[in-house]
Amino acid sequence: MSPLFFIFGPMVLAALVALYGKKRDTIVKFVSLALFVWMLIYALELLAILPDSGYLDLGSYLAVKDFGFELTLQVDHLSVVMLILTSVLLILVALSSWTMKRTSTYFALLILFAGPITGVFMSTDLLWFFIFWELTLVPMYFLVGIWGAEGRIYAAVKFFLYTHVASMLILLAFFLVYKETGTMNMTLVRESMLASPVLIWWLLFIGFSVKMPIFPFHTWLPDAHVQAPAPISVLLAGVLLKMGAYAMIRMVVLMLPGQSAHFAWVILALGLITLFYAGFMALYETHLKKMVAYSSISHMGLVTVAIATLSYSGLSAALFEMIGHALIISPLFLIAGFLHHRTGSWQMGDMGGLMQKAPYLSAIFVLAGLAALGLPGTIGFVGELTILIAAIKSYGFWLILIALGSMIGAGYIIWTFRRVIYGEISQTVRKSDFRMDHVEFAALVIFAVLIVFFGLFPSTLFDVINAAFAPIAAQGGL
Amino acid sequence: MFGTFSLLFVAALVSLALHRTKWLKPVALVAIFGSIFLTYSGSHIGLAGFENSEAIRLFTLILEIVLLAVILHEEEDQTLTQTLFIATASVALLQSHTLLTFIVSFEAVSIISFVLVSHIRTAAQAEGAVKMFIAGSIATGILLLGAVLYLIGGGRLGAPIAVETTALSTTGLFVMLLGLFYKLTIVPMHGWAADSYALVRHSHAAILTGVAKTVVAVAMFRFFAPFLAEHLSLSVPVMVTLAVVTMTLGNYLALFQKRIARILAYSSIAHAGYILLAFAALKSGYASTGLLYMAIAYIFMQTAVFLLLDILRKRYGIETLEALKGLAKKNGLLAFFFTVQLFSLAGIPLLAGFMGKAVVFYAAVDAGLWAAVLIALLNSALSVGYYAWIVKHLYFDEAQGPASQSNDKLPIVSQLILLAGTLTFGIFASLVFSVGNAF
Amino acid sequence: MTTLVLVLLILPIIGALIAFTSGLKKNALAFWTAEVTGTLLFLITLILLVDYKDPIDIPMRWFEFGSFSIPFGIYIDKLSLVMLLIATGLGLLDIHFAHDYMGEDPHQPRYYAKVLFFIGGMILLVSAKDMVGLFVGWEFMGLASYLLISFWHQQKDPADAGVSAFLFTRFGDIFLFAAIGLLFYLTGTLDMVKLNELSQAGKLDEEMMFVIAVFIFIAAIGKSGQFPLFPWLMRAMEGPTTVSALIHGATMVNSGIYIVARLFDFYAAAEALMVVATVGALSAFIGATSALVQRELKKVLAYSTMSHLSIAFVGLGVGSLAAGMTHLVNHAIFKALLFLGVGAVIMSAHHVKDMWRLGGLGKKLTWVALFMGMGVLSLSGIPPFSGFFSKDAVIAEAILNPGSAGLIATLVTIAGLLSMAYIGRLWLLTFAGEPRDKGLFGKVTRPSAFWIVLPLGIMAVMTLLMGFFQEHIAEMVSNGPFEEPHVAGLFFGLMSGIVLLALIIYYYYVKRPDLTEKIAAQPLIKTIHSILFNGYYIEKMIFWFAHNVIIESFAKTSHWVDQHIIDAAVNGMIGLSQRITHIFGYTHSGRVGDNSGAMTLGLLLLLAAMLTGGAV
Repeated sequence: MSPLFFIFGPMVLAALVALYGKKRDTIVKFVSLALFVWMLIYALELLAILPDSGYLDLGSYLAVKDFGFELTLQVDHLSVVMLILTSVLLILVALSSWTMKRTSTYFALLILFAGPITGVFMSTDLLWFFIFWELTLVPMYFLVGIWGAEGRIYAAVKFFLYTHVASMLILLAFFLVYKETGTMNMTLVRESMLASPVLIWWLLFIGFSVKMPIFPFHTWLPDAHVQAPAPISVLLAGVLLKMGAYAMIRMVVLMLPGQSAHFAWVILALGLITLFYAGFMALYETHLKKMVAYSSISHMGLVTVAIATLSYSGLSAALFEMIGHALIISPLFLIAGFLHHRTGSWQMGDMGGLMQKAPYLSAIFVLAGLAALGLPGTIGFVGELTILIAAIKSYGFWLILIALGSMIGAGYIIWTFRRVIYGEISQTVRKSDFRMDHVEFAALVIFAVLIVFFGLFPSTLFDVINAAFAPIAAQGGL
Repeated sequence: MFGTFSLLFVAALVSLALHRTKWLKPVALVAIFGSIFLTYSGSHIGLAGFENSEAIRLFTLILEIVLLAVILHEEEDQTLTQTLFIATASVALLQSHTLLTFIVSFEAVSIISFVLVSHIRTAAQAEGAVKMFIAGSIATGILLLGAVLYLIGGGRLGAPIAVETTALSTTGLFVMLLGLFYKLTIVPMHGWAADSYALVRHSHAAILTGVAKTVVAVAMFRFFAPFLAEHLSLSVPVMVTLAVVTMTLGNYLALFQKRIARILAYSSIAHAGYILLAFAALKSGYASTGLLYMAIAYIFMQTAVFLLLDILRKRYGIETLEALKGLAKKNGLLAFFFTVQLFSLAGIPLLAGFMGKAVVFYAAVDAGLWAAVLIALLNSALSVGYYAWIVKHLYFDEAQGPASQSNDKLPIVSQLILLAGTLTFGIFASLVFSVGNAF
Repeated sequence: MTTLVLVLLILPIIGALIAFTSGLKKNALAFWTAEVTGTLLFLITLILLVDYKDPIDIPMRWFEFGSFSIPFGIYIDKLSLVMLLIATGLGLLDIHFAHDYMGEDPHQPRYYAKVLFFIGGMILLVSAKDMVGLFVGWEFMGLASYLLISFWHQQKDPADAGVSAFLFTRFGDIFLFAAIGLLFYLTGTLDMVKLNELSQAGKLDEEMMFVIAVFIFIAAIGKSGQFPLFPWLMRAMEGPTTVSALIHGATMVNSGIYIVARLFDFYAAAEALMVVATVGALSAFIGATSALVQRELKKVLAYSTMSHLSIAFVGLGVGSLAAGMTHLVNHAIFKALLFLGVGAVIMSAHHVKDMWRLGGLGKKLTWVALFMGMGVLSLSGIPPFSGFFSKDAVIAEAILNPGSAGLIATLVTIAGLLSMAYIGRLWLLTFAGEPRDKGLFGKVTRPSAFWIVLPLGIMAVMTLLMGFFQEHIAEMVSNGPFEEPHVAGLFFGLMSGIVLLALIIYYYYVKRPDLTEKIAAQPLIKTIHSILFNGYYIEKMIFWFAHNVIIESFAKTSHWVDQHIIDAAVNGMIGLSQRITHIFGYTHSGRVGDNSGAMTLGLLLLLAAMLTGGAV
């Protein structure tokens, strides 16, 4: 199967679905599900044939004479891990959207999203990477703007503009890279070839920081994530943010190792600030989904700290935590969105006693919440533990500060349980109906199972993750 | 020799006789198809003072395809005829090789533009036409002043612009450029455009801003590039300053407008700023490709949006953003065309607009102007503000008024042609790169 | 052996799952699953004990990330076995007891599943070889504790109590978590046996060792309800009494002491034992004095738990592993006995916990009164009950150690003596005298002999019998010969103190309760009373800090900064753009004359530029 199929196929398919999908909701749903499952299978196949080190070439297309602009597709372990994560999340998002209104348009956009996101992780040509990177914004803009909650327009436009401005910096950096090295293939670019590495480093760092997001470039996130429909919040948190972290690892840390080492303290400091600042924000929040959003930012702060270690172990931990974050935050977003959908309220104060009306839903919320605060037995703990160890190893004992971050996490998560799940049943909860579509509930259960499974058997993931950085570490690149 | 130029010229003359008959449109279509065929097979004007090139051939082809779309779209006899005339003049302008032919063809384009908009029905259209006419006459004055200075300074009328110039002829050429900037709507020659583009009929505006402007840009580049490249120390600061001021002014003024046409008019001015960056980036080998790419992308998307506005006004009487609300529910197809072309203008990838900007901006980076490019990129991001805002009205707001999905066939075909162009040149960049340096 | 150990580790989780799923059909199935699982676990532990030769050591690797490897080994020595016996033995009795105590609750599947999960966590904790395994078990128990305290989550108080329990213990836990990171950094190993060896060999940086030891101890403070992190333990009494007995009386709260005992050599080498002793002594005093004035049966026991765990900490802190751990073992048995006894009383008295409303129950609950009486004697430290020996040993060790002979020894002696006072008061107010609430007394039911009285009897006999095997226990837990410390006159002094206190409380609470009320009405006494009753207002202070400093200062400031500076800057772009647009708007009047003027001006500027630029 040509990889182009997975990049441009979805775009064509999306158009077909949009044109002919009206009144064929069930078919549309299964078609998109089939596509995402196929993507997963393809990603797993790629994993099986990956070489131990270096890239697997998937071909080059659309070469342009005299301009290093060519759709070069190459994958290594890092990109395949991201592809697997993306396709799994897409499957679960499709399941979670089973009862979404205006089905065919919604799924068409979902399918449209699948194309560029595959391209982002496969392309090693800087300009094509940028093209796909930008294209992911378009379906997201519509998904947030059309299906979002009451403040959707402000959120969608802010999200689109804010991240677009950041992309402009990235584009300029890519131009400078090409001018100074004469190649647009990121695997061939070496820092030593650059004449202005400092400028390029800052442009890239700020550009990717917005997507991750890192303080102080985070304010688009609470708005976008809160207003987006729940499954789209999952995509935003699980895939879009990960794009930022992926790019940060690949194009800042690995492509510009010297500058990154020089400015590591910037990454570290901003990561720590993000971790605590977002934690405090979550602690103060009474808006359920905003609390989850800030918790999401706080965890990305942890990822940033892990990236800042610039070490083999630290990057492995970062990648693991990225996956962990996706699996943990997703059910929280889904349930928060579902509660809003059913109760009409965002405020935790209006809820309470949910456990009495929807015990299983509450149980999954509790499990995901516990994972978010890093309880052992869940994927969250492994992420925090590995990051703590890696960070202390790189920067010395004072990074036990990270542990304090998980205390703040416990604070807001446990208080959320108290306000939403436990306690006397509130009027709002008593009136509302919490019966959930079986397919949507199944998606939640899968999330819960994955959280526990990878929490107990993290080596299944780490075997692949370590392989992403082992060759670079072996060459002394880390 | 029977070439593109003669075919179009004859067709235009013949069309005058066919007004009020059903034959006008078919004849125009036949003529434009014929010209496409002839251009494709490599015809050029066989007169002295004209010269063709690969890049010009590609651009002429695209120009004719876009005009085909315009003709498909257009119903009105007068406009159809003027479209054919403007095609004729454009072909001549693009191939002009001497100062004389250049000035004459440029004036021809200008005058046909005046004739085009002089088909006045409302007071607003009159205002637009008059403003354009007055500004045009001043610009012509400046242009001729420059030409005279150049000639006094030792320039020759019957030859391409001299690269080696005296102080006086250099000044003359820069004054000429200033006069030409009127058509390109570069600050300070832009004042008329914001009003005229918005006030005249949308299909006329499509020809003015989409077609005439790009033709002038390409011809100017072809004609002046050797000279400007020789005087970088003077041309780069002037061009960069004008480019930055033009795009910033255009974008900011477009931000909070309420009438769609006015937004697009200012956006057209902003785009002129981006185009001008190519003139500043002559040091780089990518400048010509960049300009060509930008022109190709721009001619497709700008013509498309104004033609769409024309459809919207005719069908729904839509003039303002407020009236645009919920169009996606009323007429999904038009909303889709509009969105794609707007995103192309905004520079969203896989659409021609992105590639055009990318190549021009890269050329400027290559020429060492990264700070100017940063401003241009931020401008481009700013412009997303109003494009996304239009899209917001299309999709996120509730519809007002009754829905009617049916569309006239021909305008839709014309939109499909323009959409295909926007998509093709967004993906297959090598089409342009292969001829980009053969100006 | 290895298989058996693995079964021991996994069985509780499987049991929990089966108990939950089967219990959904029928409540009784959940109970029986739990009972069977509990029995099996206890039997396996017994087999391990009987077959014990050398420590079972199973090194395992959990996962590798980057260049690091995280171990997850199993190590069961005698210390672990003793803890396992307590966990599974008391766990079994507790499950048995719950048959009646929780018999009417509709949510039994959930209850038994959580209890089994808890036992699983405890087993993991005490059989872990590495710090990570220990931490996992530690947190599992913390989770189970949280869930069980909030078992009646639909009510406000248990839900609040759960929050307290989780957050207080979590505060301690993050220090343990940090300690793991530091240990990895410092030594590269998380193996606790190896850590003891390394520290004894003097190969580690002493200052770092001290920091790590203190960090681990902070976690122990949280888990074992020591000063200042004890308030959660008092609130935890909102949970079912069976849970209080198992988790907050007998097993989980011991884990803090266990971890110090497990790393005893490390603590000794890090010279952190005095910290342990000091905090322990202070907590012992606070717990004992606060227990004196509580009204609720369970609160008395909770403060008593705090106080007695502190005594065990002091035992470790003054350098005697044997004394501390023996007291821990003894305490586990008699405290479980007392808690379950109180549970029997509460159940019989229709969930009345205020002992001032009880009284004279001895007539109706004779056996319960008798067995609880044995527990009371053991806790007070009357020979030949087990409590006497260990408490005596700790006090003696404290006096003998020159570092602790002064204040620490005094505080712990006072705490030891006061045990008699508060527990005697509890027993007397409940069982002796005349019933104070006649209506309630009439409704008191008799508990079932098999489900309720039998477990009490077993534990009562245990606490008596164990008194005769103190040296064996001491040798087991300390892995070496045990020599009983002797301090001249200590026995006589303690005994006379206990007898004196016993007489005083008998006089004040049974003979002349009216006099007690008069004394309590004195202003000074009233102030002291309220300080003690509220646990020295520690909880209030911590809440004040959490609310005013964390939430109202840090969090609120972040919120303000985010809204008014960072996001305001982003949103301010709109206003800024509007202003810029407005300014640019001046360039566009729309008048033809202005357009022409601009063009001419442009021409002039160009010419000027050409002139200054040197072109002309």
